[in-house]
Amino acid sequence: MTGRWRWAFLVAVATAVMAACQERLTSPAECPELCPGGSAQVFDTIVPAVALRDSSFPTAAEGANGYVSRGQGTALLLSSGFAASEDRAIYRFAPRGDSIIARDTLRAYTVDSAMISLTVVARDTLVNGLKVYVYRLPSTVDSTASFAAIDPLLTDANLIDSIAVPDSVNTGTIRTVLRGADVARVALPPGGDSVLAIGLRMAAETPTGIRMGALASSSAASFTSYITVDIADTGSIQHQSLSRVTAFNIFTTQNPVVPVDSLLTVGGEPSSRALLRFGLSDAFLDSTTIVRATLELVPVRPIFGLPTDPSILQTLAVVGDLGAKSPLTSDATFIRSDTLPAVQGDTVRIEITRIVQLWQSSRTRPQSVFLRMLPEAATFARAVFHSTRSHVSDGTDVAPRLRITYQRSFPFENP
Amino acid sequence: MRRALVLLALVVLPVRGAAQSSQFGVRGLGMPGRPLSSYAFSAGGAFGLFDAQSALNPASLGSLPALTAGFGALQDFRHVENPAGTRSLRETRFPHVAVAGPIRRYPAVVGVSFSSYTSRDFTLATADTVILRGVLVPVSDTFSSRGGLSDLRFAAAYRVQDAWVFGGAFHVITGSNRLRERRVFADTTYQTATQSSEISYAGVGVSLGVIRNFGPAFSVAATARSDGHVNVDRDSARVATVDLPYTFGLGLRWRARPRLDLASQLIVKTWSGANSDLLAQGGTGADNTYEVSLGAEYRPDLRRPARRPLRLGVRYGTLPFPLVPGEQPHEFGVSAGTGIRFAQERAGIDLGLEHVWRSAGAFSERSFLVNVGVTVRP
Repeated sequence: MTGRWRWAFLVAVATAVMAACQERLTSPAECPELCPGGSAQVFDTIVPAVALRDSSFPTAAEGANGYVSRGQGTALLLSSGFAASEDRAIYRFAPRGDSIIARDTLRAYTVDSAMISLTVVARDTLVNGLKVYVYRLPSTVDSTASFAAIDPLLTDANLIDSIAVPDSVNTGTIRTVLRGADVARVALPPGGDSVLAIGLRMAAETPTGIRMGALASSSAASFTSYITVDIADTGSIQHQSLSRVTAFNIFTTQNPVVPVDSLLTVGGEPSSRALLRFGLSDAFLDSTTIVRATLELVPVRPIFGLPTDPSILQTLAVVGDLGAKSPLTSDATFIRSDTLPAVQGDTVRIEITRIVQLWQSSRTRPQSVFLRMLPEAATFARAVFHSTRSHVSDGTDVAPRLRITYQRSFPFENP
Repeated sequence: MRRALVLLALVVLPVRGAAQSSQFGVRGLGMPGRPLSSYAFSAGGAFGLFDAQSALNPASLGSLPALTAGFGALQDFRHVENPAGTRSLRETRFPHVAVAGPIRRYPAVVGVSFSSYTSRDFTLATADTVILRGVLVPVSDTFSSRGGLSDLRFAAAYRVQDAWVFGGAFHVITGSNRLRERRVFADTTYQTATQSSEISYAGVGVSLGVIRNFGPAFSVAATARSDGHVNVDRDSARVATVDLPYTFGLGLRWRARPRLDLASQLIVKTWSGANSDLLAQGGTGADNTYEVSLGAEYRPDLRRPARRPLRLGVRYGTLPFPLVPGEQPHEFGVSAGTGIRFAQERAGIDLGLEHVWRSAGAFSERSFLVNVGVTVRP
């Protein structure tokens, strides 16, 4: 290699090294000398909901027609002395006939034993000594059942059995098996409707509640009969089991939440949802960068939930504002789910920055949000918030409001 | 003709034309560029008014014997100090591209070049604490700027025998500047806020130049340039007009020995013309600037003068845009370089190194610049 080519090689290498260098441009700066235009200014403002345009559905007049009816949620409520509510659960099983077909012949059978299986969906894991009492109810029980009508029927005379739930069992199946004379407690007399219905109540060391399985979550109770068929045979034809699933389930509440038009009800049975509308001006939306938006709701009374089994207060952007039947977004970006504590007595604050930013980016989207409590019609938490119609004696502003933190347009220096 | 078109296309391709960046280019129109080839860069800029590959003096094109294209790359290793802290930075730039060639049967040369006029490439990070909803929240701000003003020059030179060379050029001053401000909150319930803006520039200028050769050993060059004003549009709306400076340059070149050339140069720019315009926009104003350069080139082999020449230079100058009103930044640089020619002198590579110190009050920086130039004569 000649000297010239050595030079060329060295220069080429130097060029390659330079080209491969990664840029690093960020340097520390001190204002105002190195802050052309100045610094970003952050402001805070409170925007109340549009007066008289916030509502919860169903209204007082439509109180029986909520979004999810009592018993159609993913769980049934059962409680004893619980601050949230006093509840009883009810299951009605599918009919079990008094004969079955064996070898092409309808044959009678006798019930040797029976089992009722229940599912515990959630409990307060800190409360021990949980016991579930199973009572027999009239087979005609239906959706018109009320606490006042059902609770007097849950007496010792109708008691089928009690199930002690081990403290170690937080969720899962619990069951009672009836043998011998106890089978008579679930007997279905010939000539009747062949339907067994049961009601549940519970007890524990301290007032509490549990959530039981339901049809909507495929975890409802089941009723299994172990029978001997009247047939001259032995084995599987003579000894069979008949399993009946839940055909209907519901729970009754002593003091259900009744919607009031001057308040915003979220949750309850049937479940209510609230619609809030805001009116941010185009001038505001055009000239700001929103860094935080918090929806603030003042509860009328504390919201009690089951400890260790939190409820979710969900806030959703509205695709089109059609009132109670407004289509809601399915985009997870614009759905905010907040877990409520066991007792929520203070103002509820929900971060909905993304939703307000959506209003900025698309003016065709209504400035509205829907609130709902999850799981609907299956949680002890029932929220009632003040609305724009609410007035409190001390003059405190309790209406729903947005607290928005924003930056104005940055004053870029020209040039 | 085809080769010339290809070279012209290379020139007008979008390149990131910029001089070395600096914290002293944060205010005003940015850090002024130096439209120098690697050869002139190595000698502190002292040969700039005589160098056909530099874009300081249109008359310098007159010395070009053949169609020539030149391209420069600049690597900047910089250490910044200011009251907010210290930081080592680095960046790569392509500050200068030029193509020029003689016109057949005429003692004239025409050329086009694209170089940085000012650079506004920087990213600044600051930290602060603000009160939000009654709570102190730490915030981190990052302000970044990319772009600057560029100078597209169309130039021609005319030789009158060997004694005089006259030149003239038309300059199109253009470019854009993308600004972005980003604030990150330590409390993550506050979302990161990003705002951006784009500033575009447009202006024209003219320059005239002359070189007087007093024999083969001594030459004098002079140039004058007027850039009028530049229109500043922000997000497509006119927001300002800023007066650009007049530029005056005077250079001397002396062949002290057959192996040794010495040169000196003074460039003066009347940036104070932009002062009132920048103050009206809330800036810190502008001051007139000058730059004095001294340089030498030593050729070890007279039979092959392009073989490993040694170039040395030193320069001192002031910068136009103060960070603090009344405190004009200044810079001092020491440079060295060399180069080779190959392929029957049809191609060459020049390498220049410069160490620059800049300061103004509590703000200072030192920078190590590596300039690589490639020259091709197709």
